[in-house]
Amino acid sequence: MARFVVRRVVLLVAVLFAVTFLGFSAMNLLGDPLVNVVGVLAELDCEGIEAGLVEDTTVDAASRDCDTVAAAKAQYHLDQPVPVRYVLWVGDLATGDFGTSFQNDQPVSQVIREKLPETLILLVMAQIVSLGVAIPWGVIAAYRANRAFDRGSTVASFGLLSVPNFALGVVLLYLLALRWQVFPSAYEGDNLGGLVFSMVLPAVTLGLPLAASYQRLLRTDLITTLQEDFVHMARAKGLPPLRIMFRHALRPSMFSVITVFGVSTGALIGGSLVVEQIFGIPGIGREIVTAVVRDDFPVVLAIVMLVACTFVVLNFVVDLLYSWLDPRVRAR
Amino acid sequence: MTADDRKTGNPTASGEGPVPRKGRASRERLLWRFRILRLVRSSRVPDDDPTEDAAVRRRLGFSFWLAVAWLLIMAFVAAFAPMLPVADPTKVAFGGPREPPSADAWFGTDALGRDVFSRTVHGARISLAVGGFAIVFGMVVGGSLGIVAGYFRGRLDQAVGFAFFVLLSFPSLVLAILITATLDRSLLVVSLTIGILAVAPVGLLARASTLVFAEREFVAAARVLGARHGRIIVRELLPNVVIPMGALTLLGMAIAVVAEGSLAFLGLSVAGEDAISWGKMIVDGAGLRDLQNATHVTMFPVVVMFLTVLSLNFAGDRIRQYFDVKELAF
Repeated sequence: MARFVVRRVVLLVAVLFAVTFLGFSAMNLLGDPLVNVVGVLAELDCEGIEAGLVEDTTVDAASRDCDTVAAAKAQYHLDQPVPVRYVLWVGDLATGDFGTSFQNDQPVSQVIREKLPETLILLVMAQIVSLGVAIPWGVIAAYRANRAFDRGSTVASFGLLSVPNFALGVVLLYLLALRWQVFPSAYEGDNLGGLVFSMVLPAVTLGLPLAASYQRLLRTDLITTLQEDFVHMARAKGLPPLRIMFRHALRPSMFSVITVFGVSTGALIGGSLVVEQIFGIPGIGREIVTAVVRDDFPVVLAIVMLVACTFVVLNFVVDLLYSWLDPRVRAR
Repeated sequence: MTADDRKTGNPTASGEGPVPRKGRASRERLLWRFRILRLVRSSRVPDDDPTEDAAVRRRLGFSFWLAVAWLLIMAFVAAFAPMLPVADPTKVAFGGPREPPSADAWFGTDALGRDVFSRTVHGARISLAVGGFAIVFGMVVGGSLGIVAGYFRGRLDQAVGFAFFVLLSFPSLVLAILITATLDRSLLVVSLTIGILAVAPVGLLARASTLVFAEREFVAAARVLGARHGRIIVRELLPNVVIPMGALTLLGMAIAVVAEGSLAFLGLSVAGEDAISWGKMIVDGAGLRDLQNATHVTMFPVVVMFLTVLSLNFAGDRIRQYFDVKELAF
């Protein structure tokens, strides 16, 4: 078991390095960060000017354009090759320094600290919604499998799985916030109650399709479990059906749901980018989209890295969880 | 080669493989199994149903053809949009802005007075083009990597597996943003971006089914007869592996269409005034005032997009059941 964990940890570290390196070099090689810092000045032929080959067109001698460029290069290490910059950048990350935003010189770590709670609350609420809907739904569907309710819910879950997140969000926003005005249409983050209340619609938008896929998995596994001997035994003992369902059958049927939990969180993070946009939640997702539009390179990079690393660690935890859940993985 | 040769539905013959060796190897094997299971199950497909009998699987049914019909209409409309007798999607139509649906403008007009019906028709172009290109790219690149990795095993397999693992470590929309953030958002770039997202899942599927087939007798026979690796891969393995990959094409396309829609919704899909996409139309009408007063501007593209994704998912799922892909994957 110990060797198994060690192997997984080594893999985890390797993947983290690969993910960060891939992201870092993609951002550096595909775009030119210098352009984002100093704008058109990046096109200046400073080497030519230093050598006297090209005329220096700067009017003000006190702040030469080339000095600005050189200062920007030094500040963001842009005069180094990409691998060196990567090492410097990882070193900074290790000390908690995520760099500074090109837009307003705010430290990126501060931006993230301000925006992260909203997104986390949204993700947690979405998972609560999906599990809260999926478990009763799946249990009822499996209890009377292939009856009217089950057939209806198959159609419903298929439909839910085919609605794109943003379409569902817009429809819910229109129906529940504008038409019937059950929920606020604008984000209210002043107090915790208002915050949670205005997060209900976004959480439902994210959680419903997920609930549909959880429900399918749970139903399939439950139907199999309900045919097992120990369930017949419990029934023969005269236990009430509800007790059999929740105390005996549900737990061994949750395996698939837990299996998907890790991956679905990744999908939720992707979905939250869109949902935060629709409902105007000032979270990580909105921040990254704004940053992309403004070419704010350090912010984009930091958020992508944060999300990817969280996702990797989460999947690592799920990998380990298997060995606890399924003895076959643990067995020698 | 007969249909029976191609089908490895029999789990006792090949699905379980040889008796797992003790220790690390079998553990690795189980872990891979879980990872693939996780992928298959996390895709937006309702799982296989234990109560459903084989006879149902072997019939495609009326609703399948209904879904196919809708998809064909969409494909036709997308291919011939500029030649169809609809209004110019980028010009202001006869009525004013935010006109409700009428005989002249079937879906009404949007905030700039453009014809929503015509824009919906033209929007099919980018959505389907990106979806189609992405899945083909994923199948060609991911498929060949997966087959080669699954056939040669060893170091190469580990390297490819690691690369897939890294690609899958990004939530897909985040990876897409990372790429589109730095490049010009042309049709090719957006299609390639979404195609890259498809590489790892398709590759894992191809690798898994190659592992199954590589252990079968006809491959051993080919090797004994002196066939070279290239021939075994192209003539023996490829025709078998293409079936599960092909059966999942439509499902993959559904995911790609939604991914393009999400990017468009965030304003990160194909840029330009005449690049119309359903996602962009939906976000255009999603402001609170438009949503309140001119609901039709968003709701028509929402409905059309939903029907298209639903048809892709439904037809795709039927095809998957028809070819019994789930058994093939292991």
